This record gives sequence, structure tokens and C-alpha cells, in this order.
Amino acid sequence: MKKILFALLLISFSSVVRAQEAPRLYTLPSPFERYTHFLVTGRIAGAVPMGSFSDSYIDKASFRNYSISLEWVLRNSPLSVGGEIGSSHFQKRLPRALYQSGNETVSAVQTRTLSQTPLQVFVNYHFLNKSSVVQPYAQVSAGISFADYSLYYGSLVQQQQKIPFAYGVGLGSRFLFKKDGSFGADVRVKYEGTSLKSGYLEKGTSTVNGSVGLFYRWW
Amino acid sequence: MYKITSLIALVTLLGLSSCTKDPINDLSSEESLVYVTNRDTQADYKQYKTFSIVDSVLVMENNRTGTTLDDLDKAVLIRIIDNMKDLGYVMVAPAQKPDIGINVAWITNSQLNVTSMPLYYGNYWGGMGGWGWGYPSYYQYYETSESYWHISMVDFKNPNTVDKTYKVVWDAQIRGSDIGNRNLANTMIDAIYSQSTYLKK
Repeated sequence: MKKILFALLLISFSSVVRAQEAPRLYTLPSPFERYTHFLVTGRIAGAVPMGSFSDSYIDKASFRNYSISLEWVLRNSPLSVGGEIGSSHFQKRLPRALYQSGNETVSAVQTRTLSQTPLQVFVNYHFLNKSSVVQPYAQVSAGISFADYSLYYGSLVQQQQKIPFAYGVGLGSRFLFKKDGSFGADVRVKYEGTSLKSGYLEKGTSTVNGSVGLFYRWW
Repeated sequence: MYKITSLIALVTLLGLSSCTKDPINDLSSEESLVYVTNRDTQADYKQYKTFSIVDSVLVMENNRTGTTLDDLDKAVLIRIIDNMKDLGYVMVAPAQKPDIGINVAWITNSQLNVTSMPLYYGNYWGGMGGWGWGYPSYYQYYETSESYWHISMVDFKNPNTVDKTYKVVWDAQIRGSDIGNRNLANTMIDAIYSQSTYLKK
């Protein structure tokens, strides 16, 4: 009988201890606040050509844009840094037309394409803390782009491949699926430019893209 | 961590490389054709009244030559004659000393290529200084071949007696993936004349 009473006392005491510890654990900042952590984001995007890129080469929006980024979200700082690799493809078909070059006249159906694989490093500034369910951010990025300018006359192609300088600025926000969780959604609007000069492109390229994506973070 | 980033990089590269698709696979046979015409801006086409045309098509493949006259060749020659007549020229036999002679050729250029990367990455590697990639003999090679029609108009009326040449005053090339299609013969020939309105008398 004494043993049973002792056991009950022990259980009730340990419950009290757990009850006292639980609130203290809960009030600890999130590990994502306390530690530098990693975050990977996959995005799909729609993009609209701007400026001379739109005026002189392709003015058609593209929905064949993808990217994936990996970043380090720094502890005790509103900044994160990372790298992003993407793929974008713009294309436009023009009906048969005459193209004059000196004494030469060419009649052809033109298919204009520009494919790029941008590789950039970026810095994000986060406006709210990392445990917030909504995390708006601003981004600047710079790097290079593996660009393929292919201008088709019928089935014949003029192709130029270059690696121009690439840059971008964007605004976006992350939305955690649950507080302190690891998964969430990402939306971003970004202006991107390159210094590519090929054929019809005499002043580089500029685009505005809007993306939606998913991210996962861990530490 | 290293494994995760490696996996992400691999998946990314595989994913991105699979995004590219052939931008011209939806072109029709007619849309794939390219017509290129050149003219001698010094030539006065009004001075030419008669023409004659070769009786078969010259076939040139790299250094080999020959002639051919199959259904496609006949269709092309006849359509050229029709267009010249429509423009106001009179067809005569070669013996009657035409003002203009028309040559028609089917030209094929074949090249042997290696399935390789181009020297595009020369700058990336810090400047190649004229060096290229060396491919051992067991690498795969493939042959590409491009054919095109070449139609030229020769000025017999004003021969250059000094260096004994006849000047080409107009020529046309028809290129594309379906130039051997008999059903496109009329379309092809009509196209090169319709974009050369200066030939009209």
C-alpha cells in the first residue's frame, strides 16, 4: 500500500514538473530565429518582355520559366544570401515576310527565340522576423546568364550563344503553412535584365516576371 | 548538407535541361521554305527581251556534278518558263542567241561533324589562344547535308569581252527542309519571282 502511494506521489510530482517546464520551453524563440538556417525554393513564373527586348525582338509573354534557389538565412540579421539558377524561354512566330539586306531579299517565316539559364547570387532583406507566418522581402541579385539567341528563317537558324551579365531586383513574400513550420509558399515579382547584345537585341534584355513557388527550410 | 545541395543541383540541372523543345517542329512544309534573291543593281532589265533555259537540272554535290530531269525538275523548269513569259520575256532556242540564259541547279553541301561542344567555352576557360578540343577517333561523327535550289539569270547580251565572262544579273536560292517536294514546285518558283518585281518588263 505504501509502495502504491509512493508511486502515485511520484507521478503527480513529475506531472507538476512537466507542467512547470512546458511553458518555459514554449516561450523559447523558434530555432529558425536562433540559428542560421537553410531554405530552398522552387518557382514557376510568367514573364513579360520589356523595353527594347519587346520592341525589337519578342513582345510575347512567356510561361516557360522555372528556377530553384538555395539560401542561407542569417541569424540575428534581417538578411539572407543565396544562389539561384533558372531557365527562361521566349518565343514568337512571325508570318512570312520579306527581309531586305543590301541587294538581297529574303522571304521567310521567322521564329524568334531567346533561351536563358541565369545563374545569380542574391541578397534578401526580410521585413519581419523569421517566425512570422507572412515574411515579405526585397531582393537584389547579380550574376551571369547562359543565353541562346536563335533566330529561325524557316528551318534555317542563325544562332548566337553568349554569357552576358545579369541582374535583378524583386519584391516577394513567403507564407508559412503553419507557425514555425518548415514548408510554405513563395510569391515574387522581379525585374530582370541582361547585357546581351545579339542580332536584333542591341540594348540587352529586360523582363518582369511574376512567380509562385514552394519552399522548404531546415537547420 | 552537402548531399542535399548536390541532390538539389542535380535535380535542377535535369529539370532545366528537359525544358527545351524544338521551336520549329510545328512549321508546315511551305512555312519551312526560305527564298533568297539577289539582283545586280546596275542591270537594266528592260533591255532584255528573249531568254532561254537549260534543258535539265544541274546537280552539284560537293565536287561532283551531273544533270537530272525527273518529274520535279520538269515541274520547276516549266514553272520558270511560265513566270518568265508572264513577266514579258520571249522564250527562244539557245541557237537564237537569247538576251538571257537561265541556269537551274540542285546543290548539296555535305559536311562531316563531330558530336562535340563548340569552342564557345573558349573565353570561359581563360582564353584558348587558338586551341581547340581534340577528339579521339572513337567519338561519334555525323554527316550533315544541306541541299538547295539555285536559279541564276545570265546576261548574254552584254558579255565581258575582256575577261570573257557573262555577268549574273539575278539569282535565287530556295532553301528549307522540303524543297524536294513535287507539290511545292509551283509555290517555290512563284515565290522567287513574286519577290523580284523589278524583273517585269
